[in-house]
Amino acid sequence: MVRSSEPAGGEQSTVGAADEADATRIGSAVSMRGFGVTLVRTAIVGGFLLLWQIASGRWIEPFLISSPSRIFSSMLTGFQSGDLLQHSWVTFQEILIGFPSGAVTGIALGYAFGRSRSLAEIFEPIIIALNGIPRTALAPLFIVWLGIGIWSKVGVVFLLTFFLNFFNTYTGMRQMDQEYIDLARLMRVRGLKLTFRVILPAISPYVFTGIRTSIPFSVIGAIVGEFIAATEGIGFFIRLSAGIFRTADVFVGIIILMFMVIIMDKIAGTVERRVLRWQVQTEHIRVQG
Amino acid sequence: MEMADTAILPARNDDSHSDVVIRVEHVSKLFRTPSEGTIRALDDISLDVPYGEFVTVVGPSGCGKSTLLKLIAGLSAASSGRILYQGEEVRGLNTKVGYVPQESKLFPWLTVEENVGFGLDSKRYPRAARERQIHNFINLAGLSGFEKYYPAQLSGGMSKRASIVRALAYEPAVILMDEPFGPLDAQTRMVLQDELLKIWEHKRQTIVFITHDLVEAVALADRVVVMTHRPGKIKDIIQVPMARPRNIFEIHRQEGFDEAYGCLWNIFRHELRIGAR
Repeated sequence: MVRSSEPAGGEQSTVGAADEADATRIGSAVSMRGFGVTLVRTAIVGGFLLLWQIASGRWIEPFLISSPSRIFSSMLTGFQSGDLLQHSWVTFQEILIGFPSGAVTGIALGYAFGRSRSLAEIFEPIIIALNGIPRTALAPLFIVWLGIGIWSKVGVVFLLTFFLNFFNTYTGMRQMDQEYIDLARLMRVRGLKLTFRVILPAISPYVFTGIRTSIPFSVIGAIVGEFIAATEGIGFFIRLSAGIFRTADVFVGIIILMFMVIIMDKIAGTVERRVLRWQVQTEHIRVQG
Repeated sequence: MEMADTAILPARNDDSHSDVVIRVEHVSKLFRTPSEGTIRALDDISLDVPYGEFVTVVGPSGCGKSTLLKLIAGLSAASSGRILYQGEEVRGLNTKVGYVPQESKLFPWLTVEENVGFGLDSKRYPRAARERQIHNFINLAGLSGFEKYYPAQLSGGMSKRASIVRALAYEPAVILMDEPFGPLDAQTRMVLQDELLKIWEHKRQTIVFITHDLVEAVALADRVVVMTHRPGKIKDIIQVPMARPRNIFEIHRQEGFDEAYGCLWNIFRHELRIGAR
C-alpha cells in the first residue's frame, strides 16, 4: 500500500503541487487577516467595557447596571468563598446529565423515524403537536413530578435538547440521498456497516447542527428550572441576587453561564471539525472563491 | 428505506443460453404520476447480453434507458416480464452487478482508498488481498498519490475515475453505467473513454453503458441498442464491426466507424421526424 501523501505522476502531480502552493499562500493571508480581525474585535469589546465603567455612577445608577470593576471583584469574592463554585457545579451537573441523554435519545429516535416509514407515519403528527407546546411551560410540571432537586432541571434540559436533536436528525434522514444507500446495498453493505459507514456519516452535518443549536438551549433549560424552584445553582443565584438588588452578582451569574455555553460549543466544534473534516475543505475553497 | 434482503430466486436454467449473463424478457415498466396519469416508461423490452460484451444503450432523454438499468440492478421492479441474471430471475437487489451512477456519487466522507475498497467484504478479501486490490485499482485509475484525498478535493474527471474503479474493484461480472461521462467536458470525456476501454480490454467484464451521445455509443460498443422515446422500446440493435483495441482519439478514421455511425444516424433521423410531429 502506497502511503505517500505526495501526488505522483504527470498531470496529477502538477495539480497537487499547485494546490499545495495555494494552500500556503492562502494560509499566511488568512493569519494576517485573522490578526486584524482579532485586533478590531478586542478594540470593540474593550471600548464597550470602558464606556460601561465610565457610565456607571456618572450617568446611570450603579444598582441598575453595576460596572465591570464591581462585577470582577464580586466574582473574585464569590469564587473565594466557594459559593459560586458550588452553584456552578450544580448547574453543570444538570446539564452534564440532561444534555447528552437528551441529545442521544433525540438522535436515535430521529434516526429510527427516518428508517421506518410506519414509525414516522404513526408518531410524526404526535411529535409535531408536542413540539408546539412551549417547552419551558412544562418546567413547573417537572418540579411537581421530580421535586426541587437537580432531577427536575435535568428533565427540562433533556426535553429542550431532545426535540432539537430529534428534528435535526430526522430532517437529515429525510434529506438523505437514496442513491448512496442503493450503491452501498449493491455492494452488499448492510446492517451495522450501512448504519455507521453510510447513513450516520451522510446525516452527520444535520446531527451536528442539532447538537450545536441545542447547547444554549440546554443551559436555558437548567436556568429556567432553577428560576422556578431550587435551592442551588446559577439560576437560583441570579434570582436571589436580583431580588436583593445585588446587580453585580446577577452579571457574575450571567457571565458564568456564558462561559459554560462557550466551552461546550468549543468542545462540540472541535469534535465536529474532526468528524466532518471531509467537508471542511470545501468550505475553505468556497471562502476563498 | 426498506431493508429488504437480496432475494434472487433460482429459475430454470436454460442451457442453450449459458453464455448469456443478462436476459431481459418482455419487460415493461409503468409509472404512475399525479399529472400525466400512468406512463409507460418501458414497453416490451427483450435483450440478451452475453458475457464479456460491451453494450451501449442510446436514446433520447426520458426514453427509459436509466429505468432499464435500475431494473437490471434490482433497484426497482418490472411491471411485467422478467429479467434473468446468470439464469436466475432478479427479485430484489441484484448484488452481483456493479453500478456507476450519473454523478460520481463517491461517498464524500470516505477517502479515495476507502471508497475504492468499500465493496470489498472481509470474507472474500482478507486484509492483504484487500490492500492489494485497492492499490491495483487506484493505479488503474491513475489516482496513485491521491489515496488519502476526500472526494471534495478531486476534480470532476478524477472523481469519475474513482467512481468507476469503486464499481470494478469488487469484481462483479457485470458493470452497469448510467451516462457516467455525461457532465464532463469533451477532452476529459475522451480521456476517460480511452481509459475505460483499456481497463475493459484488460478485465473483460460485461458492461452495459447508457449514453445519449451517438459517437460515444459507437466508439465504445460491440453492440448498440437503440431505444425510442415514450413508450421506451428497442428500435434496433446495431453491431459495431470496428476492430479492437480502438483509438478513441481518432475514432472517426477507424474502419467500420462510418458504417455503424451512419446506420445509427439513419435510425435517429427517422426518430427525430416522429418527435417533431
